[in-house]
Amino acid sequence: MTAPRTHHYTCRYCRHSSDPDGVSCPRCGAPVDVTAAVTRSGWQRQEPIADMARIQFGQSYLQVEGTQVPVADFALSGDESIYFSHHSLLWTDPGARLASMGLSGGWKRVMSGLPLFMITGRGPGHIALSDNHAGDLVCLPLEHGQAIWTREHRFLAATGNVTYDWQNTGIWFRTRSGDETETHYPIGMFGDVFTARDAPGLLLLHSPGNTFIRDLAPNQPLLIQPSALLYRDLSVQTHLHLEYPHTDGGFFSRSYSYRNVWLRLVGPGRVAVSSVTEPPESSNPIIRSSPATTWRW
Amino acid sequence: MDRIACEWCRVQNPPGATTCQTCGAPLDVRNKVSDSGWREAPRLRDLTEFRFSGSVCQVEGELVPVAELALAPRDWVYFEHQVMLWKDETVPLSAMQTGGGFRRMLGGMPFVLSVASGPGRIAFSRDAPGELVVLPMPPGIELDVREHAFLLAAGSVGYSFVRIKGLANILHGGNGMYLDRFVTGPAPGILMLHGNGNVMERMLRPGEKILVEPGGFLYKDASVQMQAVQQELKVGLMRKMYLAEMTGPGRVGIQSMYVHHKTG
Repeated sequence: MTAPRTHHYTCRYCRHSSDPDGVSCPRCGAPVDVTAAVTRSGWQRQEPIADMARIQFGQSYLQVEGTQVPVADFALSGDESIYFSHHSLLWTDPGARLASMGLSGGWKRVMSGLPLFMITGRGPGHIALSDNHAGDLVCLPLEHGQAIWTREHRFLAATGNVTYDWQNTGIWFRTRSGDETETHYPIGMFGDVFTARDAPGLLLLHSPGNTFIRDLAPNQPLLIQPSALLYRDLSVQTHLHLEYPHTDGGFFSRSYSYRNVWLRLVGPGRVAVSSVTEPPESSNPIIRSSPATTWRW
Repeated sequence: MDRIACEWCRVQNPPGATTCQTCGAPLDVRNKVSDSGWREAPRLRDLTEFRFSGSVCQVEGELVPVAELALAPRDWVYFEHQVMLWKDETVPLSAMQTGGGFRRMLGGMPFVLSVASGPGRIAFSRDAPGELVVLPMPPGIELDVREHAFLLAAGSVGYSFVRIKGLANILHGGNGMYLDRFVTGPAPGILMLHGNGNVMERMLRPGEKILVEPGGFLYKDASVQMQAVQQELKVGLMRKMYLAEMTGPGRVGIQSMYVHHKTG
C-alpha cells in the first residue's frame, strides 16, 4: 500500500498551494512534474501550459488549445462571467451572452490607443480567446485581496470577480529635435492593475515569445528593456535609468546616440518579462524625464 | 497487423507507419480534441515526407514551416507567386489565368496564379509563424479558403473563386471580397494552406451554428454558410462588433493568430 503524500507543494509559477500529484497545476496550468529551468542569473522560465490542459475557476474552467498562439477556450457555467478586449475574441457559442462594458476615462484611453470598451461574456456556453502574437499564455490566479500590475495590451481575460483599474505609469522622457519635442512612454502611458477584491479570481495574459520570472529581494535592483516587462507585483518600484556609454570623439560621438533607456526595478516582489521586445525609441537628446537614475561610463 | 487509419485525413496507412503517407500527420500521437469539439490540425514533424500523385512533399521547420516539393515529371502545382521560397533553376514556371481579372485586382487578389511543373524541386512558405495544413481532397470536394491563406494546390484540383455576397459581408466579414474555392472532379488532389498560429477544425452538424471572429476564419466546406452578423456590442464610440456566423453542415477551420478585423 502506498502512503498518501502529505507534503506541501507550492506551484513555483503562480505561488499558490497546488496538487503535487497532478500533471499540471489546477490553478494556473503550469506543469508540476518538470525541473525548474533557472538561469545562472536567477531567471526562471515560465513553462508553457500544456496543450489541452484544463484550469478550474469557480464552477467553470478553461482549456488551453495549441502551443504556438494558444487559445483560451472558456467553458462558462451558470451565471459566471469573464471580461476581455473584443480584439481577443476568436469564436463563441451563439448561446453565450456577450455585453459591452464601458470603461472610465474614455478620452484618455482613446488617445493612448487603449480599447474604450471591454466585452463581458457570461455562461452558460463556450467563449474562446487568443492574441495575435506567437507566445505564451500566462495564467495568474489571484488570492482574495491580491493585486498585480500588467503592461498595457498584454491582458487577455479576467474572471468577473477581478476588478480592473488603470493608472499612469509615471515613466516617460521628452526628447528634442530642432524645435520639435516628443514625449516617449517606454512602458506605455498607462498600466493595468487587476485586483481580486471580494473573492479569488483568475487573470490571463498573453506574453509574446517566451516568459521568464524572477523574485527580487528587498532593495534588489534590476535593469530591463522597458518593453519586455509583462507584469510585476505592486511592491516592485519602477523608474527610468539612463545610461550613456563613453565614446572616443568623432562625428558620431554624441553621447545620446548610444544612449540606453532602461527600466529600473527595485524589489521586493516578482517581475516577469517577455522575450519579444519592441525596438528602442529615437535617440534624440533627452530634455526632461520622469525620475531617473543616470550612469555615464 | 492492422492498417492504421489517419485521424486527420482518414486514409489507411501500412502497419508500422509513424506518419501518414498522404498528409504527413503523425500516426503515433493521439488526436487532440478540445471539450468544445475543436480538433487541432496535426503538427507536422520537421522533415516529414508524404506523397501526392508521383511527387513527394517534405516539411521543413516548425515555426514557419516550408513545404518542399520534389515534383515528378508531368505533375504540376499552382500558387500565389509570393509564396515561392526557392526552386531548382530547371523547374519551369508558367502563369494560370484566374478569370475576373480587374475585379480581382480591385479586391486585392492576384489575377494570375503561378504554375510550377516537374521534374524538379521547389519550396514554398508564407510569412508568419503558423502551421502547414495539408488537406488531401478526395473526388467531389468543394472547399472555400480565406484569401491569401492557400500555399499551393496540385494541378488536379480545380480553382475558382466565389464573390462574398452582401455588402455587410464584404465590409464587415473580414475576408475581403472573395474566397478561393478549390474543387476536385473525378480525380483526387491535395491542397496545402498556411494557418497563422495554431489551426483547429470543427465539424458542424446540419443547422448547427457557431460565431467566429472573421479574421480567425481559415477554411470551410462549401456546404457551410457564412454570414457576417452584427452583434449588439459596442466596441468603439460609433462601432459595433460583427462576427461570422457559420452554419453547418460541414467542416470549419480557424487560425488562432490573425490581424483583428476592424468592426464597423
